[in-house]
Amino acid sequence: MSAIEVIALQKSFRTKRKAAGLQGSWRALWRPEWQTVDAVRAISFAMEEGELLGFIGPNGAGKSTTIKMLTGILHPTSGHASVLGYTPWQERRALAYQIGTVFGQRPQLWYHLPAIDTFHLFGKIYEVDERTIKTRIGFLSEAFEITELLETPVRKLSLGQRMRCEVAASLLHKPRLLLLDEPSIGLDVVAKQRIRDTIKRMNELERVGVLLTSHDAGDIEALCKRVIIVNHGQIVYQDKVSALKRNFLTDKQIDVRYAERLPDTFHLEGVEVVKLGSYGAKLRVDTKTTPVERMMTQLAGAGSLVDVTISDPSLEEVIRTIYERQPMAMAR
Amino acid sequence: MRKYWAIFQVQLLNNVAYIGNFLAGSGMIVLFMFIFAQLWRAAYSATGGGSIAGLRYEDVLWYLMLAEVIELSKPRLAQGIAQSVRDGSVAYQLTKPYNYILYQCGVGLGDSALKVLVNAVVGGGMVWLMVGPPPDPRWWPLVLLLVFGGWLIYFCFTVLIGLAAFITEEVRAFEWIYQKLIFILGGFLIPLDLYPAWLQPIAKATPFAQAIYGPARFFVTPSWDRFGQALLGQSLWLVALVALLAFAYRQSTQRLAINGG
Repeated sequence: MSAIEVIALQKSFRTKRKAAGLQGSWRALWRPEWQTVDAVRAISFAMEEGELLGFIGPNGAGKSTTIKMLTGILHPTSGHASVLGYTPWQERRALAYQIGTVFGQRPQLWYHLPAIDTFHLFGKIYEVDERTIKTRIGFLSEAFEITELLETPVRKLSLGQRMRCEVAASLLHKPRLLLLDEPSIGLDVVAKQRIRDTIKRMNELERVGVLLTSHDAGDIEALCKRVIIVNHGQIVYQDKVSALKRNFLTDKQIDVRYAERLPDTFHLEGVEVVKLGSYGAKLRVDTKTTPVERMMTQLAGAGSLVDVTISDPSLEEVIRTIYERQPMAMAR
Repeated sequence: MRKYWAIFQVQLLNNVAYIGNFLAGSGMIVLFMFIFAQLWRAAYSATGGGSIAGLRYEDVLWYLMLAEVIELSKPRLAQGIAQSVRDGSVAYQLTKPYNYILYQCGVGLGDSALKVLVNAVVGGGMVWLMVGPPPDPRWWPLVLLLVFGGWLIYFCFTVLIGLAAFITEEVRAFEWIYQKLIFILGGFLIPLDLYPAWLQPIAKATPFAQAIYGPARFFVTPSWDRFGQALLGQSLWLVALVALLAFAYRQSTQRLAINGG
């Protein structure tokens, strides 16, 4: 059964347009000019139960708007969505018992109180009985390594610690689906990794489905098997993360170092020189036109090779490539 | 209902976390009552003692004490709601399985409960020292009921103003007007009985007077008749306000656009 099914979901906002300055304000007051912004344009996708699905795109791509329609707080302009069998904006409260949400930029924990107080409050809000919630809090605080943080007022926690408490809070009522909107925003590398590991573990342990939005490709790379890339409210790519890499990772980046000085005219056939130093160079190769073998032979023939590193481009670069190959999606 | 009770408790705890700030807030009632005492003493000595419009000096002070307690302890949710609409955190409050209005009610009560207690003890103690004991305590349970009715009227107004943020984003202007209406028509500075005869019935019919004047006047000169009138007035306004609130809430959530993506 699909956990989420979205068909031609669309959300348009009407915003007032105002010319600059006082005169513009005056005119907008009497004769407002309305502008329709399509935040989400007829997107369709499905998500299996227990799946880890990534939803990425640059700022303003429509990720959050989509999540908010799926939680039922925004009414779509048109289209259909079914989340765990509910139509979110019509059955918001019934759906709320089944899903957990984390909006990375907006804390849900009571700021001045220790997290444990909010945890117990959520237990009551989700109508979980006292005994069950205690066991659940014990289990989650171990999984998220927050046992010793629970009694500290939330305002005194670091962002990373707070985020772990936030995600734990969203799992208290054992939701079947977790909607995470930018859960790693503002976190340092270590804190990010910790959050990712725990989310992954919870997914394995309880088969809770996770729909994750991020503009950090690293989140998706580390967590998700499948990815949907959105830009300007449209889906520009939708496939397995591995397929994404295979199809768009044909470019290799190569760093080489030689024992002797390189001539200024250093050049290899079918290889783009990105940066040239006195002993080394940064190169880029499209393996479809220049097979790795031929490239290696050339590299070895150019002098006495000391070191060579071949690496994949980051997912960020991959996404950039997709955007570049989709001029239609970019044009507005 | 248990979940709203839990919200009330957590909000109460949240306030206790800043108990110092809280107690300092009760300094307001000391200041107000001190000024009122001086002002009305001058007024009464100018008229040669006795009573004005059927109220003695001590009646006026006890009246103003309760009026102050009600006003200073009223729920102030409008800014919070408007803020959560502006910064988008309202999204969180709407993805939980509860009734948003009742949730706000729990939060508001959690804010007000402690304030009422502290203000009543501080303000009441002060007035007691100045003019002697308070009115008949046997009526107090009914006074409390009317104070709660007044609180509910305030609650409807503050949430309505907060919800206006869904349309206008900024709600300070509405709050300012609302505050002034309470001052003028609610009987917060002067018992309404001292108003000109033509203005009295108008002022007394407003929800602001039902929230302040009604309970405070009943407190100083209790009678079943007065209680019945105050309760009826509050009930009628509450029916209208709750209906308006329900309508406004439906409208707001339907046109909700979350700021900040």
